[in-house]
Amino acid sequence: MGQHSMRTAVITLLGVLGIAASPGLAQQSQQPAGQNKVRQITGLTGVKANAKGTLTIESDNLLFANSKTKVSVPIHSVEDVVTDNDSQRVFRGTFGTLTMFAPYGGGRFLSLFRSKLDTLTIQYRDSDGALHGAIFTMAVGKADPLKKELVAQGARTTIPVQQDSGSPDTKPDAAKEKKP
Amino acid sequence: MKRTFYASAAILLLSAGLMPVQLRAQTGPPKVRKASAIQVVMIQSDEIKLPAEFQISLYENLIQRLQKQGGFEHVYRDGDHNADAVADLIVLHGTVRGFKKGSEMARNVTTVAGKTSIDIHCQFTDKDGKSALEQDLNGKVRFFGGNLRATLDFAKKAAKLAHDNFVASPAS
Repeated sequence: MGQHSMRTAVITLLGVLGIAASPGLAQQSQQPAGQNKVRQITGLTGVKANAKGTLTIESDNLLFANSKTKVSVPIHSVEDVVTDNDSQRVFRGTFGTLTMFAPYGGGRFLSLFRSKLDTLTIQYRDSDGALHGAIFTMAVGKADPLKKELVAQGARTTIPVQQDSGSPDTKPDAAKEKKP
Repeated sequence: MKRTFYASAAILLLSAGLMPVQLRAQTGPPKVRKASAIQVVMIQSDEIKLPAEFQISLYENLIQRLQKQGGFEHVYRDGDHNADAVADLIVLHGTVRGFKKGSEMARNVTTVAGKTSIDIHCQFTDKDGKSALEQDLNGKVRFFGGNLRATLDFAKKAAKLAHDNFVASPAS
């Protein structure tokens, strides 16, 4: 009886983990080329914090768009572009908070499951000369190509993009820029 | 002899009566000027290596908190030309003095480890650069949330400090 309940608990846990992980994979595989699914952490005027959307480069503008808002930043006004990497909980939001109250340290155990992500930070000035900043998070390996494209189109950066070694085996993490 | 005694007693009583007033004056809040607008300068981190997302998050959260808290007619960003015309402008400069990046996972798993903290020296100046108020503030996240929540904690404290010291009518 005890073994049966243990087996049920393990199967349930694996099921939950599988369901939680699968939408992210599906989203990544269905993502069209040139569009980056991002989360805007803070900074863009008129966009709520932690809003999801897509980040694209369209006719000299960096465009963040979702179902509610569309914000564009002229690339020539971008004064700094910096990429970095971070990680976040797989189980986050309301469900993630509720897991903290799970018995027998279940919430703590689930906190160990984390997903890696890239961050893209930009600084730009508006028409009045006022300095703005914006932070985006996106899937691993997406930030560096976006930064390269921005720099190629006239954005400035304090940390130059590292030249590709040309090796196809280079991992995205290893290609991260290094601060001087 | 009697006259001398009465005179010294009167002086003693007078000085005793004045002492609490003097003490109150010394311990009370410093006199600072009131301002109709505030300008936030980008947080500087020359000595401490601060990740770019923390620097931007500090700056943006500070502006958002100052706008949310109210009291100032305008909250100007760094470099905003419109701030040049404001006479009673207060400028907030922040310099990072300490930074410890913790770990959200460590916080969640252990509860006691993984704290993220940022120490920032805040200086409020007038338009000419004359210092009006200086104070060290810190932002930290101990239990819930990502590391960037430390910047929100700092922003709340800095906005409150600005509001308490420079807003003409604190009832807002």
